[in-house]
Amino acid sequence: MLTSRLNRRQLVIAGGAAVAATPLLSRLSVSAQDSITVTMVTDTAGIGDQSFNDMANAGGLRAQDELGITFNVLESQTAADYVRNLTDAAESSDMSIGVGFLLTDALAEVAAQYPDGKFALIDSVVEADNVVNFLFREQEGAFLAGAIAALVSKTGQIGFVGGIRIPPVMRYEVGYVAGAKSVNPDIQIAIAYADDFENPDKGKELTLAQYNNGADVVHAAAGRTGVGAFDAALEKGEGFWVIAADKDQAHLGPDAQLAAVIKGIDTAVFDGIKSAQDGTFVGGIHNLGIADDGMGLGAIHASIGADVTDVIDAYSAAIAGGAIVPPVDDDTLAAFELVSPDAIPAVEATPAS
Amino acid sequence: MDHFFTLDLLTRILRMSTPLIFAALGGLICERSGVINIALEGLMLIGAFFAVAGTYWTGSPWLGLIIGVLCAMAGAMIHAVWSISIRGDQIVVGTAVNLIALGLTAFLVQSIWGTAGGSDRVTSLPKLGGMSILVPVAFVFVPIVAFVLFRTKQGLRLQACGEHPQASVSAGIDITRYRYSAVLTSGLLAGLGGAYLSIGNLNYFTLDMTNGRGFIALAAVILGGWNPWGALAAALLFGAAEGIQIQGQSTPGFPISSDLLVTLPYIVTLIAITLFVKARSGPAGLGKHATTS
Repeated sequence: MLTSRLNRRQLVIAGGAAVAATPLLSRLSVSAQDSITVTMVTDTAGIGDQSFNDMANAGGLRAQDELGITFNVLESQTAADYVRNLTDAAESSDMSIGVGFLLTDALAEVAAQYPDGKFALIDSVVEADNVVNFLFREQEGAFLAGAIAALVSKTGQIGFVGGIRIPPVMRYEVGYVAGAKSVNPDIQIAIAYADDFENPDKGKELTLAQYNNGADVVHAAAGRTGVGAFDAALEKGEGFWVIAADKDQAHLGPDAQLAAVIKGIDTAVFDGIKSAQDGTFVGGIHNLGIADDGMGLGAIHASIGADVTDVIDAYSAAIAGGAIVPPVDDDTLAAFELVSPDAIPAVEATPAS
Repeated sequence: MDHFFTLDLLTRILRMSTPLIFAALGGLICERSGVINIALEGLMLIGAFFAVAGTYWTGSPWLGLIIGVLCAMAGAMIHAVWSISIRGDQIVVGTAVNLIALGLTAFLVQSIWGTAGGSDRVTSLPKLGGMSILVPVAFVFVPIVAFVLFRTKQGLRLQACGEHPQASVSAGIDITRYRYSAVLTSGLLAGLGGAYLSIGNLNYFTLDMTNGRGFIALAAVILGGWNPWGALAAALLFGAAEGIQIQGQSTPGFPISSDLLVTLPYIVTLIAITLFVKARSGPAGLGKHATTS
């Protein structure tokens, strides 16, 4: 398509820290206990997406405060920036973090070129000894989102607005559908994609269209595109809800947010940095869900009563205990056996975390 | 399907078409004067940004609108000086304006609001029936541009500058003045289109929020045969493709999958260009300079 995007030098923000001036020197001087330099590379949605880039940034800033590391961010303006930004990151820092599925190929390429560098990848997998991968079971949090949407909906119709149908977003979608249909097998669900993570205008139009067609709860898993869902809800007024994805977005519309699926990206980034700092870094895959405190449904609106939240808590416990396994793609969704609120299997209380 | 063809669909199409109509009218006037303007995208972005910044500074979306439009005209002035007076390659100059707009707005968002992604929320312009007040304004501009272009002395001279710059100079037309006016007018209209996106339809600015609409508007100019009514029809066609796509995706049980629906605007563009563009050609003097003036 006809877009002109700029390949300009990326903004270096966060912490106000200067990038390590001499990469070679800094790398030589690092031992396990030294303060390390960590550089995070965003996808094109960038800092300010009110979503997972911001959460990853929050984890890095926390590590800067608590661990005394130096934390830098390179924002990618286009997909063409991924390899260059990750290369810059690997050159200038001890650990490089790729935020998002869209950076998978670029990170695989750069990690192979810097076998001594440490890499972390969010939402995807690069199998290499020097890459630690953090995946999330989005479907678990989304299942709860679908359940609460179906419980709260008065019209029997709900919606989903996704960014691009990449695996993490697809897991949100199918988990949401499974949760909603478990509560109400007859519920109507409109599923729409903006094909873009950076287009709040389109997010607003898609959400408005779903509301005007009868939906009263819309779950937006669309990065900055999802911000537009709040604009739609605010324009429609009372009785129209948004369920946010990845993080609590109540500041965008406190009375429009029904709940938020909370994804522990900040904790994952912090843990990844901590392992590099204290010398315990190992490559591998971490798959975080409700049982690991990596996913959950939070920020439930104050007007929602215990009759609803009790059901959500029961579903949450059943998922954490493994009694319900939400679907991860279209095939598992088709094979998923709905679990009605009256038939949620009781599980042993999971150990307090 | 009874949820498909609704009043909501119609207003959505009007909303999606509005920024394209503004920018296409601007591009059309500019190209009719003989200056290629691929800077529409950047001028829209400048308009979108400064409309929000102006509203943020003054507290009034109307003042914000004026500031946004004036800044887009300032951006157009860069295009005019380098394209007309310095006689640079107009494609290269337009590209430069686009790049400046993207970089400048990204930098200013960061310095004003401290986040890289977008601005705070500001007051938006008033709305009528779910549509910004700028929607009817866009439609009002179409007959005005058509009248000025085809029915006034100035309009005909402007066209002469675009068709045959050398002959216009010989006939005593101040081609430089006409071309400057045309480029600045395109800045005004593109600025309105950009401001519509930021403080008309939404109430904030996000990075690169024009999302290629300037180029789609340019396609509407060409598809519409450099005629205001044609450009209106083309802008409505593109808006309709987008609106129908959104409506279809948001209707539960709609028979076409969303994977296919998202490609609809591109398919419509390809079909329209294949069917209509062969017969069209632009002003003969497009991109050409007169040797003396």
